Amino acid sequence: MEETTGPEEMIVCRDVHKWYGDFHALRGITTTVNRREVVVAFGPSGSGKSTFIRTINRLEDHQRGDIIVDGIELTDDVRNIDAIRRDVGMVFQSFNLFPHLTVKSNITLAPIKVRHMPSDEADDIAMSLLERVGIPEQADKYPTELSGGQQQRVAIARALAMQPKIMLFDEPTSALDPEMIKEVLDVMQELAESGMTMIVVTHEMGFAREVADRMMMFDEGIVVEDGSPHQIFEDPQSDRTKLFLSQIL
Amino acid sequence: MASSTDIGRGGPLPPPRPTTGVVGWMRVNLFSTRFNSVLTIVSGIILLVSLWYGLGWMIFSADWTVIGVLGGQMIIGQYNIEAACNGQNCFWRPQAGLLLVSALLGMAWGVAGNGLTKRIAILVVVVIAAFALLPYSLDTMGMDVRALLVANLPALGVGWALARYTPLGTPKWIVIFGVVIFFVILVLLRGVPGVPGLQPVSVIYWGGLMLNLLLAVAGIVISLPIGIALALGRRSQLPVVKLMCIVFIEVFRGVPLITLLFMSQVLVPLAFPENFPQNSLFRAAVVITLFSAAYMAENIRGGLQALHPGQAEAARALGLPGWQTTMLISLPQAIRNVIPAIVGQFIALFKDTSLVYIIGMLDVVEISRAFIQGNTEYLASAKELFIFLALVFWVFTYGMSYVSRRIEQHLGVGER
Repeated sequence: MEETTGPEEMIVCRDVHKWYGDFHALRGITTTVNRREVVVAFGPSGSGKSTFIRTINRLEDHQRGDIIVDGIELTDDVRNIDAIRRDVGMVFQSFNLFPHLTVKSNITLAPIKVRHMPSDEADDIAMSLLERVGIPEQADKYPTELSGGQQQRVAIARALAMQPKIMLFDEPTSALDPEMIKEVLDVMQELAESGMTMIVVTHEMGFAREVADRMMMFDEGIVVEDGSPHQIFEDPQSDRTKLFLSQIL
Repeated sequence: MASSTDIGRGGPLPPPRPTTGVVGWMRVNLFSTRFNSVLTIVSGIILLVSLWYGLGWMIFSADWTVIGVLGGQMIIGQYNIEAACNGQNCFWRPQAGLLLVSALLGMAWGVAGNGLTKRIAILVVVVIAAFALLPYSLDTMGMDVRALLVANLPALGVGWALARYTPLGTPKWIVIFGVVIFFVILVLLRGVPGVPGLQPVSVIYWGGLMLNLLLAVAGIVISLPIGIALALGRRSQLPVVKLMCIVFIEVFRGVPLITLLFMSQVLVPLAFPENFPQNSLFRAAVVITLFSAAYMAENIRGGLQALHPGQAEAARALGLPGWQTTMLISLPQAIRNVIPAIVGQFIALFKDTSLVYIIGMLDVVEISRAFIQGNTEYLASAKELFIFLALVFWVFTYGMSYVSRRIEQHLGVGER
């Protein structure tokens, strides 16, 4: 399915719908994310923003519409799903590090098992990524021996080890103590500046204002407003956006 | 500078000094209220009285000779009686098997290095070798038997050296040798028709602790993988697989083991031609293994249910295919979390091997009971015999639970 995406279009969504039983969680999402673009998705809880990014690597399946990631259409075909997951990194609210593996093994597992990388090469990559997120000295510890902020930075390094083209962040700082949020946001900002295509679900409006190219306001399963951070913060068009921003700022 | 007033304001305080000595401990734990004091005194009196009479009986009245008379039968059953071995002396065959086990223990020590494995290996082999020093007459226990027992010490050393100085010193080879040795022991015990020195010995003569251990080891080693497969099958999204696993688990859990054992002997032969070679030991082993696997499956399924769904999600998001997610992420964590239940099942299985008496096999308990029944002059010694049997079972099961606790510590269960 190469036909309908241009070279700059990393993610194309057309009229994406998702139901949980009778609950209509996504009610027609249409958007395009370009290469190197950083998109922040925000909105009240239950608005569908997390569900939306989880459909992009098929952790949730959509029941209507098309999702095309880097030229591959997401269908039930397992090969397509695995191919897309290799190219899409994801960082979760609750870190989801593997507690039975050391920090370094958490990072090297997927490159070795999925990309069939020799283990010493994977080790080198893991160490340079830990360097990049600022905690090389924690390589041989187990995840629970680390602080929340450190764990989330390991989770980012783990996703980056697969050399993804796209990174999805699902509320990456919501489970962190305030003094740890900045260390994670700094890593994410550095990643954005390096040219990574990113979709970030977050309520960190300072981060959005500074780093995002585009912001999408979700409410009740639809995108109620989509614009640059400047436009969203200075001149919100929708009443829902105005109300939501007034509540969290 | 560091006077006590400074500490209150500035730096960290030292922990409060423990003020309880023996008296303090007793006051807190034994005599904290009037009711507890009464409880302590009453149970203390009961304890003292029973200890007084119990220990007194053990030291002054108990007559432990029955254990000596029964002797080797408790370990190998009737394996060495004349009828079993065509009049030959076959005692060396179980003992050769024991030597192989000692060598395997030595290999495990060589691979694992110093630590728990070393201590267990040395302890087991020294205890075996020490049997050579039992104060029997040479008629009851000849020098050849004793020599083979002592030979376990060098066997341990040979295994250790094999692991240390040859390329065989890896966990993979231990597993391979373990499986090979298990089957070699079976062949040794069963014999090969036409080979001098290896006259076939019918399984009806196998017995004693040897029988319990054979059934337990086979059951433990085989029921774990079957249990894992059943647990995964029960969580499968394929309805046929799921249904088959549920039916299997519920049938084997729903019927008493003793019934299954009995059924295996009575019903399985009906399904085969009359002259078909039948082996009651094999049938018993299959039933015990499947029975244990059904429980094992539910233990492991419990461990899988307890995992946070985010674990599998994170693995899938990294591009790991489903089976690798299961093998590398879900199962290791699930098994780690249910080690106590798994070991509990192993212990239950070991004790349940005694139930093979129902199909006429003389395990260590049954051979002791049969001996008392057949030799009424020892009727009064039944107490000593069964206390001894209880001790034997306890030593093995406590060993299992000790090892499992050490494994849990090693894996950091409950900590990470």
